[in-house]
Amino acid sequence: MPLSLPPLPPAPEIYLPGIHVGLSHYLLLSAILFGMGLFAVITRRHAVAVLLGIELMLNAANINLVAFSHYLSPHSNFGEMLYNTVLDGQVFALIVIALAACEAAVGLAIILALYRNLGVVNPDEVQSLKW
Amino acid sequence: MTAEIWFNDFAFYLIAGIILLSALGVIFARRVMHAALCLLPCLLGVAALYGLLGGHLLLAIQILVYVGAITVLILFAVMMLQRIVRGGLLAGSQHLLAGLVGAGMMSGIIMISILLTQFRPLLRPTQPSQFAGDNVRLIGELFLTKYLLPFEAISVVLLVAMVGAIILARKEPEE
Repeated sequence: MPLSLPPLPPAPEIYLPGIHVGLSHYLLLSAILFGMGLFAVITRRHAVAVLLGIELMLNAANINLVAFSHYLSPHSNFGEMLYNTVLDGQVFALIVIALAACEAAVGLAIILALYRNLGVVNPDEVQSLKW
Repeated sequence: MTAEIWFNDFAFYLIAGIILLSALGVIFARRVMHAALCLLPCLLGVAALYGLLGGHLLLAIQILVYVGAITVLILFAVMMLQRIVRGGLLAGSQHLLAGLVGAGMMSGIIMISILLTQFRPLLRPTQPSQFAGDNVRLIGELFLTKYLLPFEAISVVLLVAMVGAIILARKEPEE
Protein backbone atom coordinates (compact mmCIF):
# COMPACT_ATOMS: atom_id res chain seq x y z
CA MET A 1 0.00 0.00 0.00
CA PRO A 2 1.62 3.25 -1.06
CA LEU A 3 2.18 5.68 1.66
CA SER A 4 0.19 8.84 1.02
CA LEU A 5 1.46 11.97 2.62
CA PRO A 6 -0.69 15.00 3.11
CA PRO A 7 0.16 17.73 0.65
CA LEU A 8 2.67 20.25 1.81
CA PRO A 9 1.32 23.65 2.61
CA PRO A 10 2.15 26.15 -0.09
CA ALA A 11 5.37 28.00 0.42
CA PRO A 12 4.79 31.45 1.83
CA GLU A 13 4.88 34.15 -0.75
CA ILE A 14 7.24 37.06 -0.37
CA TYR A 15 5.74 40.40 -1.18
CA LEU A 16 8.71 42.46 -2.21
CA PRO A 17 8.05 46.16 -1.96
CA GLY A 18 8.23 48.01 -5.25
CA ILE A 19 9.93 51.27 -5.97
CA HIS A 20 6.79 53.22 -5.22
CA VAL A 21 6.39 53.92 -1.56
CA GLY A 22 3.72 51.92 0.20
CA LEU A 23 2.98 50.64 3.65
CA SER A 24 5.84 48.11 3.54
CA HIS A 25 8.42 50.83 3.05
CA TYR A 26 7.34 52.62 6.18
CA LEU A 27 7.23 49.36 8.14
CA LEU A 28 10.69 48.34 6.95
CA LEU A 29 12.14 51.74 7.84
CA SER A 30 10.56 51.48 11.25
CA ALA A 31 11.92 47.95 11.75
CA ILE A 32 15.44 49.14 10.94
CA LEU A 33 15.07 52.12 13.25
CA PHE A 34 13.79 49.88 16.03
CA GLY A 35 16.77 47.56 15.59
CA MET A 36 19.17 50.51 15.80
CA GLY A 37 17.49 51.71 18.98
CA LEU A 38 17.73 48.24 20.50
CA PHE A 39 21.40 48.10 19.52
CA ALA A 40 21.98 51.39 21.31
CA VAL A 41 20.16 50.18 24.42
CA ILE A 42 22.25 47.00 24.55
CA THR A 43 25.64 48.42 23.72
CA ARG A 44 25.92 51.96 25.07
CA ARG A 45 27.85 52.41 28.29
CA HIS A 46 26.25 55.65 29.29
CA ALA A 47 22.75 55.80 30.75
CA VAL A 48 21.81 58.93 28.79
CA ALA A 49 22.84 57.24 25.55
CA VAL A 50 20.64 54.29 26.52
CA LEU A 51 17.76 56.76 26.87
CA LEU A 52 18.49 58.05 23.38
CA GLY A 53 18.16 54.49 22.09
CA ILE A 54 14.80 54.18 23.81
CA GLU A 55 13.67 57.37 22.09
CA LEU A 56 14.64 55.84 18.74
CA MET A 57 12.55 52.75 19.50
CA LEU A 58 9.52 54.83 20.50
CA ASN A 59 9.76 56.81 17.28
CA ALA A 60 9.91 53.60 15.28
CA ALA A 61 6.72 52.40 16.96
CA ASN A 62 5.07 55.74 16.22
CA ILE A 63 5.92 55.54 12.52
CA ASN A 64 4.21 52.16 12.47
CA LEU A 65 1.06 53.49 14.09
CA VAL A 66 0.73 56.46 11.75
CA ALA A 67 1.55 54.41 8.64
CA PHE A 68 -1.07 51.80 9.48
CA SER A 69 -3.55 54.55 10.18
CA HIS A 70 -2.90 56.08 6.80
CA TYR A 71 -2.75 53.01 4.60
CA LEU A 72 -5.09 50.47 6.15
CA SER A 73 -8.02 52.49 7.37
CA PRO A 74 -10.97 53.56 5.26
CA HIS A 75 -10.74 57.04 3.93
CA SER A 76 -13.44 59.07 2.35
CA ASN A 77 -12.93 61.77 -0.21
CA PHE A 78 -16.29 63.29 0.44
CA GLY A 79 -18.86 63.00 3.25
CA GLU A 80 -17.75 62.81 6.88
CA MET A 81 -19.01 59.36 7.77
CA LEU A 82 -15.72 57.55 7.82
CA TYR A 83 -13.61 60.19 9.45
CA ASN A 84 -14.04 58.83 12.94
CA THR A 85 -12.31 55.58 12.18
CA VAL A 86 -9.45 57.11 10.29
CA LEU A 87 -7.38 58.90 12.86
CA ASP A 88 -7.22 56.37 15.69
CA GLY A 89 -3.61 55.55 14.90
CA GLN A 90 -2.64 59.19 15.17
CA VAL A 91 -4.37 59.45 18.55
CA PHE A 92 -2.32 56.51 19.79
CA ALA A 93 0.82 58.13 18.42
CA LEU A 94 0.02 61.28 20.41
CA ILE A 95 -0.38 59.22 23.57
CA VAL A 96 2.96 57.55 22.88
CA ILE A 97 4.60 60.97 22.49
CA ALA A 98 3.20 62.07 25.86
CA LEU A 99 4.46 58.88 27.48
CA ALA A 100 7.86 59.43 25.89
CA ALA A 101 8.01 62.87 27.50
CA CYS A 102 7.23 61.31 30.91
CA GLU A 103 9.81 58.61 30.33
CA ALA A 104 12.52 61.09 29.40
CA ALA A 105 11.84 63.28 32.44
CA VAL A 106 11.76 60.42 34.95
CA GLY A 107 14.67 58.64 33.28
CA LEU A 108 16.90 61.70 33.39
CA ALA A 109 15.95 62.33 37.01
CA ILE A 110 16.87 58.75 37.90
CA ILE A 111 20.20 59.12 36.10
CA LEU A 112 20.90 62.36 38.01
CA ALA A 113 20.09 60.64 41.31
CA LEU A 114 22.35 57.73 40.38
CA TYR A 115 25.23 60.07 39.69
CA ARG A 116 24.71 61.89 42.98
CA ASN A 117 24.39 58.81 45.17
CA LEU A 118 26.61 56.24 43.50
CA GLY A 119 28.76 58.22 41.07
CA VAL A 120 28.17 55.62 38.40
CA VAL A 121 28.05 56.15 34.65
CA ASN A 122 27.50 52.72 33.21
CA PRO A 123 24.10 51.17 33.86
CA ASP A 124 25.85 47.80 34.17
CA GLU A 125 27.65 49.04 37.26
CA VAL A 126 24.50 49.86 39.18
CA GLN A 127 24.30 46.77 41.32
CA SER A 128 23.47 47.86 44.82
CA LEU A 129 20.69 45.31 44.88
CA LYS A 130 22.97 42.59 43.60
CA TRP A 131 25.49 40.62 45.65
CA MET B 1 -0.87 62.65 -10.44
CA THR B 2 2.24 60.73 -11.40
CA ALA B 3 4.36 63.74 -10.59
CA GLU B 4 2.86 63.76 -7.11
CA ILE B 5 3.62 60.08 -6.66
CA TRP B 6 7.21 60.55 -7.77
CA PHE B 7 7.59 63.52 -5.47
CA ASN B 8 6.17 61.43 -2.64
CA ASP B 9 8.66 58.62 -3.34
CA PHE B 10 11.56 61.01 -3.60
CA ALA B 11 10.61 62.72 -0.36
CA PHE B 12 10.26 59.40 1.45
CA TYR B 13 13.65 58.08 0.36
CA LEU B 14 15.35 61.36 1.19
CA ILE B 15 13.78 61.51 4.64
CA ALA B 16 14.48 57.82 5.29
CA GLY B 17 18.13 58.42 4.42
CA ILE B 18 18.34 61.35 6.81
CA ILE B 19 16.67 59.38 9.59
CA LEU B 20 18.91 56.33 9.22
CA LEU B 21 22.14 58.33 8.92
CA SER B 22 21.41 60.41 11.99
CA ALA B 23 20.32 57.29 13.88
CA LEU B 24 23.74 55.83 13.06
CA GLY B 25 25.19 58.95 14.65
CA VAL B 26 23.03 58.42 17.72
CA ILE B 27 24.20 54.87 18.26
CA PHE B 28 27.88 55.33 17.44
CA ALA B 29 28.87 58.85 18.49
CA ARG B 30 31.53 58.76 21.17
CA ARG B 31 30.34 61.74 23.14
CA VAL B 32 26.87 61.80 24.65
CA MET B 33 26.50 65.41 23.59
CA HIS B 34 27.08 64.49 19.95
CA ALA B 35 24.68 61.56 20.17
CA ALA B 36 21.98 63.81 21.61
CA LEU B 37 22.57 66.35 18.85
CA CYS B 38 22.37 63.60 16.23
CA LEU B 39 18.94 62.78 17.58
CA LEU B 40 17.66 66.14 16.30
CA PRO B 41 17.66 65.46 12.52
CA CYS B 42 16.30 62.01 13.24
CA LEU B 43 13.28 63.39 15.10
CA LEU B 44 12.77 66.10 12.47
CA GLY B 45 12.79 63.40 9.80
CA VAL B 46 10.16 61.43 11.67
CA ALA B 47 8.08 64.61 11.86
CA ALA B 48 8.40 64.99 8.10
CA LEU B 49 7.23 61.40 7.68
CA TYR B 50 4.14 62.25 9.70
CA GLY B 51 3.54 65.11 7.28
CA LEU B 52 3.83 62.72 4.32
CA LEU B 53 1.33 60.42 6.02
CA GLY B 54 -1.20 63.18 6.52
CA GLY B 55 -0.71 63.72 10.24
CA HIS B 56 -0.32 67.46 10.36
CA LEU B 57 -1.15 67.80 14.02
CA LEU B 58 1.33 65.03 14.80
CA LEU B 59 3.98 66.85 12.80
CA ALA B 60 3.52 69.96 14.92
CA ILE B 61 3.39 68.00 18.17
CA GLN B 62 6.46 66.00 17.25
CA ILE B 63 8.45 69.18 16.64
CA LEU B 64 7.08 70.89 19.75
CA VAL B 65 7.40 68.02 22.20
CA TYR B 66 10.22 65.87 20.87
CA VAL B 67 12.49 68.40 19.22
CA GLY B 68 11.56 71.30 21.45
CA ALA B 69 11.17 69.69 24.84
CA ILE B 70 12.66 66.21 25.09
CA THR B 71 15.88 66.92 23.20
CA VAL B 72 16.40 70.14 25.10
CA LEU B 73 15.76 68.27 28.35
CA ILE B 74 18.34 65.66 27.40
CA LEU B 75 20.88 68.32 26.40
CA PHE B 76 20.18 70.13 29.65
CA ALA B 77 20.79 66.94 31.65
CA VAL B 78 23.98 66.24 29.71
CA MET B 79 25.31 69.70 30.44
CA MET B 80 24.34 69.38 34.10
CA LEU B 81 26.06 66.01 34.39
CA GLN B 82 29.18 67.37 32.73
CA ARG B 83 29.63 69.64 35.72
CA ILE B 84 29.18 66.86 38.25
CA VAL B 85 31.13 64.09 36.59
CA ARG B 86 34.82 64.52 36.01
CA GLY B 87 36.38 63.61 32.72
CA GLY B 88 33.54 64.49 30.40
CA LEU B 89 30.72 62.34 29.18
CA LEU B 90 32.07 59.59 26.98
CA ALA B 91 29.71 56.87 25.91
CA GLY B 92 31.75 54.01 24.54
CA SER B 93 30.21 50.77 23.41
CA GLN B 94 30.28 47.40 25.06
CA HIS B 95 28.77 43.99 24.30
CA LEU B 96 29.01 44.78 20.60
CA LEU B 97 28.46 41.18 19.54
CA ALA B 98 25.45 40.72 21.80
CA GLY B 99 23.98 43.98 20.55
CA LEU B 100 24.52 43.03 16.93
CA VAL B 101 22.99 39.58 17.37
CA GLY B 102 20.08 40.74 19.50
CA ALA B 103 19.12 43.81 17.52
CA GLY B 104 19.77 42.06 14.21
CA MET B 105 17.56 39.12 15.12
CA MET B 106 14.78 41.38 16.39
CA SER B 107 14.93 43.61 13.34
CA GLY B 108 15.26 40.64 10.98
CA ILE B 109 12.24 38.84 12.40
CA ILE B 110 10.12 41.96 12.06
CA MET B 111 11.31 42.56 8.49
CA ILE B 112 10.70 38.94 7.45
CA SER B 113 7.20 39.03 8.87
CA ILE B 114 6.55 42.30 7.01
CA LEU B 115 7.76 40.79 3.74
CA LEU B 116 5.58 37.70 4.21
CA THR B 117 2.43 39.71 4.79
CA GLN B 118 0.18 41.06 2.12
CA PHE B 119 -1.31 44.36 3.14
CA ARG B 120 -4.45 45.29 1.34
CA PRO B 121 -5.85 48.78 1.79
CA LEU B 122 -9.55 48.90 2.51
CA LEU B 123 -10.14 51.90 0.34
CA ARG B 124 -7.93 54.08 -1.72
CA PRO B 125 -6.22 56.63 0.53
CA THR B 126 -6.91 60.21 -0.24
CA GLN B 127 -4.19 62.73 -0.73
CA PRO B 128 -2.87 63.96 2.63
CA SER B 129 -3.56 67.60 1.88
CA GLN B 130 -7.30 67.02 1.80
CA PHE B 131 -7.26 66.39 5.53
CA ALA B 132 -5.16 69.43 6.26
CA GLY B 133 -7.82 71.52 7.91
CA ASP B 134 -9.76 68.74 9.52
CA ASN B 135 -6.98 66.83 11.19
CA VAL B 136 -6.83 68.87 14.37
CA ARG B 137 -10.58 69.02 14.84
CA LEU B 138 -11.01 65.28 14.28
CA ILE B 139 -8.26 64.32 16.71
CA GLY B 140 -9.67 66.72 19.28
CA GLU B 141 -13.10 65.19 18.93
CA LEU B 142 -11.66 61.69 19.24
CA PHE B 143 -9.79 62.69 22.40
CA LEU B 144 -12.91 64.08 24.01
CA THR B 145 -15.31 61.31 23.01
CA LYS B 146 -13.91 57.90 22.12
CA TYR B 147 -10.56 58.23 23.87
CA LEU B 148 -11.63 60.27 26.86
CA LEU B 149 -10.38 57.74 29.40
CA PRO B 150 -6.89 57.38 27.89
CA PHE B 151 -6.76 61.16 27.66
CA GLU B 152 -7.49 61.59 31.36
CA ALA B 153 -5.15 58.75 32.24
CA ILE B 154 -2.31 60.32 30.30
CA SER B 155 -2.92 63.61 32.11
CA VAL B 156 -2.56 61.87 35.47
CA VAL B 157 0.53 60.04 34.26
CA LEU B 158 2.09 63.33 33.17
CA LEU B 159 1.39 64.89 36.55
CA VAL B 160 2.79 61.91 38.45
CA ALA B 161 5.86 61.80 36.22
CA MET B 162 6.47 65.51 36.79
CA VAL B 163 6.24 65.21 40.57
CA GLY B 164 8.34 62.06 40.52
CA ALA B 165 11.03 63.66 38.40
CA ILE B 166 11.25 66.63 40.76
CA ILE B 167 11.48 64.41 43.82
CA LEU B 168 14.10 62.17 42.24
CA ALA B 169 16.28 64.95 40.91
CA ARG B 170 16.10 67.11 44.04
CA LYS B 171 19.18 67.37 46.18
CA GLU B 172 18.88 65.50 49.45
CA PRO B 173 18.63 67.90 52.38
CA GLU B 174 21.73 67.89 54.58
CA GLU B 175 21.18 66.13 57.86
